[in-house]
Amino acid sequence: MDVMERERIPGGLVPASPRAPSGVHTGPAIHRAPAPTTVPPPCAPQRRSVGAGPFPGGWQPLTGDALLERVRVTGRPRPPADPERAARLRRCIEDGMVPGDDDPPDPPPLHPGVDGSLPGRGHPLVVTKDRVTRVLACEAHHVAAEFGERTPTTALAVGALVDTLFRQLVTTGSIDDPMTDGLDGLSMDERQADLVAWIGRLPRTERDGVRAEVDRQAEELRNRWPRLDPVWLPRTQEVMRTRLVGGAVELSARVDLAVGRPEDDRSSVALIEVKSGTRRIEHRADLHFYALVATLRNPAPPFAVATYYTRTGELDVDPVTDELLAASARRTLAGIRRLRYLAAGAAAGRSPGAPCGPCAVLPGCAPGRRHTGAATVARGQAAIPTPAQRAR
Amino acid sequence: MTPTTRAELTRAVLAPPPEPVDESVRAGLRDQLVADVGPAVEHLPVGASLEISLPVLRRAGDRPDLLAGPEEAFVWKPLFVRRSLGLAVVRACLEGRYRSPGDAVEPVATDAVAEWHRTGWRTFHWEPWLSGLAEGARAVVLAEAVGWATALWAALDWSALPDDVQVGGPDDQWMCPAARTVRLRGRSDLRVRLSAGTPSSRGRAPAGSPTALLTVGGGLPGDRWPEELAYLALVGSLRSPTGAVPARVVGVWPEAGRHAVVDIDGAALTAAAGRVASTVSALVDARTLSPVPS
Repeated sequence: MDVMERERIPGGLVPASPRAPSGVHTGPAIHRAPAPTTVPPPCAPQRRSVGAGPFPGGWQPLTGDALLERVRVTGRPRPPADPERAARLRRCIEDGMVPGDDDPPDPPPLHPGVDGSLPGRGHPLVVTKDRVTRVLACEAHHVAAEFGERTPTTALAVGALVDTLFRQLVTTGSIDDPMTDGLDGLSMDERQADLVAWIGRLPRTERDGVRAEVDRQAEELRNRWPRLDPVWLPRTQEVMRTRLVGGAVELSARVDLAVGRPEDDRSSVALIEVKSGTRRIEHRADLHFYALVATLRNPAPPFAVATYYTRTGELDVDPVTDELLAASARRTLAGIRRLRYLAAGAAAGRSPGAPCGPCAVLPGCAPGRRHTGAATVARGQAAIPTPAQRAR
Repeated sequence: MTPTTRAELTRAVLAPPPEPVDESVRAGLRDQLVADVGPAVEHLPVGASLEISLPVLRRAGDRPDLLAGPEEAFVWKPLFVRRSLGLAVVRACLEGRYRSPGDAVEPVATDAVAEWHRTGWRTFHWEPWLSGLAEGARAVVLAEAVGWATALWAALDWSALPDDVQVGGPDDQWMCPAARTVRLRGRSDLRVRLSAGTPSSRGRAPAGSPTALLTVGGGLPGDRWPEELAYLALVGSLRSPTGAVPARVVGVWPEAGRHAVVDIDGAALTAAAGRVASTVSALVDARTLSPVPS
């Protein structure tokens, strides 16, 4: 029996009664209005006033033990370990990679480890949640994001800083000065060097805006986030990887928080992703991707996957079921197939939609401009990298 | 390799040891390595030295192009601290001082720094660096160590392991007698003494019992993991001509949820020695063929 289930939550809360099987949600978007299906505007710290909740009256975010209880008690039985489940999911993806009638002409050869995968032949095609989501939304957007120049935004900066502060809070139980702690923490990661430098170059007003939003979210985290008993083995930024098709494909994920001692015979771990921005429908698919990778990696799947929104305190919890995992495997397969075609040099298709707003190649993308209603045409700007450019 | 369960991994570590490797095999391997490595390193400038470790072995196999690059100056990073702090954390938990890595990491790190302040002695080497970090940066180091330690702590049924399991400890080292300094370094995370026939009995194995080594790897196991695991046994057996040759090496890759086992015999050690020789050749080529930086 895992510790999260065996031990009482500090404070002795009565476990919540079983809920609807489709998932557990706390937040007004589910109870009051449908979740947004289009990309909301990027987090705009300067428009948010410190301490002002986004949902005046009525709904209040969960805090402390109640928040933890909502993750812990999903209303579903926790799935047992089942090697056949993982084998079935693996087959679903691997068998689905055999080219079919509806595939583009001249599909790339599928030889483990030597297919036309990124970044060069002989390397596995590394598949992450972001890549799957992007390529399924719009291939051109994916190519631009993958190979184009990445410009930091204030939303990105806030997200990275809050992620770092969340890790600090879980590990040490305290946050001192959020902006200082966040930047110090972020500076420890070489991959974030450009972002840290960019934050340092921000004009005073924008930097103050970032600071205000980071301060506000850190304060909300301090007030709402529960103390996790170390016996539940909370660990942050946990990396999960699994290989498919003899090593030709690697599913890779890094989850913000894993809680629960992994057990051999049944589900005992919850995976929690932290988001500093607005709640988006794609985040659910991200969670399901985590559940899939964890199921392929571990003897037992996680019992729940959740997204916690630090800006609002909203919490989406999905109990992990066989149906959820199967759907995620099918979606991941669809993403892998598109990624493989792109990696083999196929031209990137354009699918105007949610990602168009912040897309780097929007100025040069006629369908995207039509979709967003952009009035001006800026030829030659931020073109989608060609297959040859991608190969370089 | 299938997903690793705690029970399977513990059984794999504690399984009865294979037949011990004959002394003549060890002596023969040593002679062979000296014969292979000695002439190869004579191409290096006088005073040059090579250090072979598991990461170098892997790099030479997977990305030999990286061997030619200039060596980066050492700078402390959380990545370099997480193993040693993580091992200290696991040790503290095993001694019953703390319930879990999350409980242990803060006091273990604080004690290490305090001890360094008090005595000037650096048990882990990173104490001065950690001591100078701001709170946010320090939290990242602790978080990395908690993650590393938790992976190891949760991977094994510690109650089934013998009392005298060694967590961490000094690296095994062997200096190859050659015209240039060639040092083989093997780093194991656990050393478990094995008792023949009683795979799950708690207690102490007799002195001189064969040993199982366990190493925690990052990422996914490479294609040549058998040689890489056997390398640790090779260094362990060369280190002391009278000590027992490690009986088994277990590799654990927490990110991938996988483990692999190599029972050590003459063939496994020979393959590892061959890998060492080819790695030395690759390093020598990289150093002698790469252009001198202007």
